[in-house]
Amino acid sequence: MTDQNDDRNDKKSTQAGISRRDFLKAGTTTAVVAGTAPMFFVRGAWAEKHMEPIGNFPVKGKTVTFGFNVPQTGAYADEGADELRAYKLAVKHLNGGGGMLETLAPSSLTGQGVLGKKVDYVTGDTQTNPDAARTSARRMVERDGVIMYSGGSSSATAIAQQYLAQEMGIIFMCGLTHSNDTTGKDKRRYGFRHFFNAYMSGKALGPVLAGTYGEDRRAFHLTADYTWGHTQYDSIKQFTEAEGWTTVNNIMTPLGTTDYSQFLTAFLNSDADVLVLNHYGKDMVNSLTQAVQFGVRDMQKNGKDVQVVVPLYSRLMAQGAGAANIDGVFGSTNWNWTLQDPGSQAFVKSFEDEYGFPPSQAAQTCYVQTLLYANACERAGTFYPPEVIKALEDFKFTGAGPGEAIYRGADHQCFKDILVVQGKGPDEKQGEYDLLKIHQQVKRDDVMYPVDTFPGELGPYKPA
Amino acid sequence: MSVNDVFLQLVTGLQLGAIYALIALGLTLIFGTLGVVNFAHGALYVIAIYAAVVIGGQIGFWAAVILVPLLLFVVGILMERGIIQYFYDRPHTDQILVTFGLALVIEEGAKAIFGANNIPYPIPDWGTGQMLFYGTGATIPGVPRFEEMPQVWMPFIEGMLFYPSWRIILIAVSFLAIGGLFALLQFTRFGLVVRAGMRDSEMLRFLGINITARFAIVFGLGALIAGIAGVFGGPITQVTPDVGMHLLVPSFLVVVIGGMGSLPGALLSAMLLGMALSFSAEYSAVQQIVIYLVAVVVLLVRPRGLMGKKGVLE
Repeated sequence: MTDQNDDRNDKKSTQAGISRRDFLKAGTTTAVVAGTAPMFFVRGAWAEKHMEPIGNFPVKGKTVTFGFNVPQTGAYADEGADELRAYKLAVKHLNGGGGMLETLAPSSLTGQGVLGKKVDYVTGDTQTNPDAARTSARRMVERDGVIMYSGGSSSATAIAQQYLAQEMGIIFMCGLTHSNDTTGKDKRRYGFRHFFNAYMSGKALGPVLAGTYGEDRRAFHLTADYTWGHTQYDSIKQFTEAEGWTTVNNIMTPLGTTDYSQFLTAFLNSDADVLVLNHYGKDMVNSLTQAVQFGVRDMQKNGKDVQVVVPLYSRLMAQGAGAANIDGVFGSTNWNWTLQDPGSQAFVKSFEDEYGFPPSQAAQTCYVQTLLYANACERAGTFYPPEVIKALEDFKFTGAGPGEAIYRGADHQCFKDILVVQGKGPDEKQGEYDLLKIHQQVKRDDVMYPVDTFPGELGPYKPA
Repeated sequence: MSVNDVFLQLVTGLQLGAIYALIALGLTLIFGTLGVVNFAHGALYVIAIYAAVVIGGQIGFWAAVILVPLLLFVVGILMERGIIQYFYDRPHTDQILVTFGLALVIEEGAKAIFGANNIPYPIPDWGTGQMLFYGTGATIPGVPRFEEMPQVWMPFIEGMLFYPSWRIILIAVSFLAIGGLFALLQFTRFGLVVRAGMRDSEMLRFLGINITARFAIVFGLGALIAGIAGVFGGPITQVTPDVGMHLLVPSFLVVVIGGMGSLPGALLSAMLLGMALSFSAEYSAVQQIVIYLVAVVVLLVRPRGLMGKKGVLE
């Protein structure tokens, strides 16, 4: 009977063109597809529902907010201002395309925000002071709900913010920070550094200095008295002594010193024939300018011309010190706007179009960091910090500067080609911003070092 | 350490002390006469350096040398008449709060107008380069670089050595300004009245002397000295809004070590701190605290400071 009824029903349905079974199948399929489609098309959405909240994850609403915490006052304010310009440009490109989005590879960036959300940003002032940096960063995390924050330019502020990042479960993409400690003894799972470090500077500079000035040199260091200065002094000492140099003395100078006369007098009184200025930003501008005023660059000691070395150089500092003062002075830099690779040129062009002058190395590293974070989110398909961290770890990429770069997973240090540069004199420079001559592009593998060169642990993927 | 080393460090000490002395003299003059602890004195220096950059850039350096101290004199009188006079009879804490607030307003004002970054302060051509000091029997090479330098013979120097000309000029200007101020207070009727006012202003009023007007002028004079310091010290201390605050602490220490309200004491302690900074330069750990160490030692031995007067701030 039942079979007869079913047959009848089937016949009726067949007459209508669709059986009841087909209808049920189609209905069920439609319901399943309609219910899950958004989760397939918005990548990771299904997975995100099953991830526990960390920091400001999950991101609610149609926008995602980044925090840019830079020194707007203090000894590194010039770098901070340029970093901020770069961050704003990065956000513009993330939302609208352009710049390095055209060259970065592999890239999942679309130029239409990140993971379907428009990128917004907030800014803060670190005052070149670790306490102020932490306070500002905490405000960004707690009040503004940033999913990631970034900034420099002092290693002391970067390290302070990196520890905060680990505590709060918010990824910190370091801006300009050059201390070995940032990805050495103070490395953190939630911190990533694209910029090179003092060890790499020493490795690149040591042979060049010895080759140019000779192996029988006596060096006198003036060093900014905080983590960056200390590690740079250690590294430059290590690599110049390996070339045969002698380190005569090192004087620690407070960050933000304006008058270096008493320290320069100590150098004049010594038997050293090379003055190494482990200073950055305004400190370097002041110490180098005053060294020239004291006649250091016109002197002879031990039968040799006295030389000045600035291990960490930047175009902004060169500009502040003036072409006459930097003429021929050696140093190292992470990047320079005159590089001809497609990534650098794409960035330089868009920066110049936006602001009317070329970017500094501080600007470049901050711009790249913002893009790398956004790209990692796209590749991970989520803003969930542990997944984004894994997407960044051991990530190899090109199109953000010369050669291939790698973000080493074991210490979150990015390795890439770096530059040994020399200041151009007034007669040599061609334009206001043409201040540094690339003496040598040092290959990535030549400045790489084993992870265990420095102590430290990254810590867990999920904050305690 | 050779004679040359000691000489270089002495000159550096003098130069470091000179800038402290110029600022501290204004501070101690105002404190000694008016009894006002002026935390805005560093901010007066800030006004001076920015005014020097603007006037020097627009009109010329010599115009800045004349106009900036005069401008600061007017600013000082306006500050005294507009704000400070209402705090004469109030506790020192109130004076510190109001002048500190004023300093913050001026610093932030400078930041708003000129930005937080250092502004270049070009040294006039005649002040650039080095001065050459040479001893008996020294042979100065006959090349233009040496021949163009101002040369000073110092019998005790071995061979020759150099020092930046501008810093030598700063030392000279400081001593001239300090000498001028001493002469004004010591040898003029105005100075006599001011010194008497410092001892007992009430008695002077009984004698029918308008001490209030003179005190306003004294405040203006203190500001004028900050103006001179700004014009000549700007290239050395740098032109940034926060430089006033950086100089304020050591300058106050100079006043305290020298003895509150004592002009010769301020001069002596400024030079003492300058020398301490210069001679401890190679010992980083000590150098960064040396001025505080000196303060502790001096105040332990002489609680009123080197030349402090009994009854002042006690």
